[in-house]
Amino acid sequence: MGFDSEEDFELELHQAFERQPAPPGLKHRLMEKRQACRSRQSFVLWQRLAASLVLAAMLGGAVEWRRQEERRKGEAARQQVLTALRITGHALDRMNRQLAEHDRANQE
Amino acid sequence: MAHDWQPDFEKLVDEHQSMVYSLGLRMTGDRGLAEEIAQDVFLELDRHLGKIESSSHACFWLRRVTMSRSADALRRRKVRQMDLWVEIEEGHGIHAEERISPLGARLEQLLATLPESQRAALVLRYQEDLTPEEIAATLEAPVATVKSNLQRGLKLLRTKAEMHLKEYIRGV
Repeated sequence: MGFDSEEDFELELHQAFERQPAPPGLKHRLMEKRQACRSRQSFVLWQRLAASLVLAAMLGGAVEWRRQEERRKGEAARQQVLTALRITGHALDRMNRQLAEHDRANQE
Repeated sequence: MAHDWQPDFEKLVDEHQSMVYSLGLRMTGDRGLAEEIAQDVFLELDRHLGKIESSSHACFWLRRVTMSRSADALRRRKVRQMDLWVEIEEGHGIHAEERISPLGARLEQLLATLPESQRAALVLRYQEDLTPEEIAATLEAPVATVKSNLQRGLKLLRTKAEMHLKEYIRGV
């Protein structure tokens, strides 16, 4: 008992394995899912763009702050140098006056 | 020659949804899983639409990805032979009353009991009419392996089918 030939069996297989129709509504559900995916992708894209802008602004701010800080430090250093020069100048003036007085005392 | 063919997603769905669904169904024996696979495959097609060069390329791509996704689904589910029989008997798979031939219905059910590699080869051969070389390209397997799976699968399926016929007649 069986199939008459290999060909008969293969014919049965071809008939048995015909494509089944897709379930009703598959395409509709698929298109909805596709739309949902695209909306999600768009949202993620905008999120990434916003995050990039915030990061760029933060970096820009940090660079500017550093620049200001360097300028402030430079100004502070300049003031210190000027103060030192003034102090030195005063000290030299005092020394000159003392020397001048000493010379006048010697001449008398 | 200029690249004239432009992929149209909806048209591709209309044209190939029954192929993709049937492949998923025959590989997994589960309608729900087959629909999930079909949706995943087409959504992946949507992401790769720009790389599809022609209508035949689309068909080849869909077959290849569907078979791959079906294999993944089976691995995830870790179906044992007995569990699969239980599912079939409980009617989660292919419904016999929808088929014209009771033998045809039984063949579909027996297909699900074959080893995965043999099942894949037989489905592509008898559902899609692919040659062994085309099956090998779809499954990314050597041609010799495909031919061996076809031969062994056919023999095993025929043996099971003939046993079923004997039992059926004995029962009648």
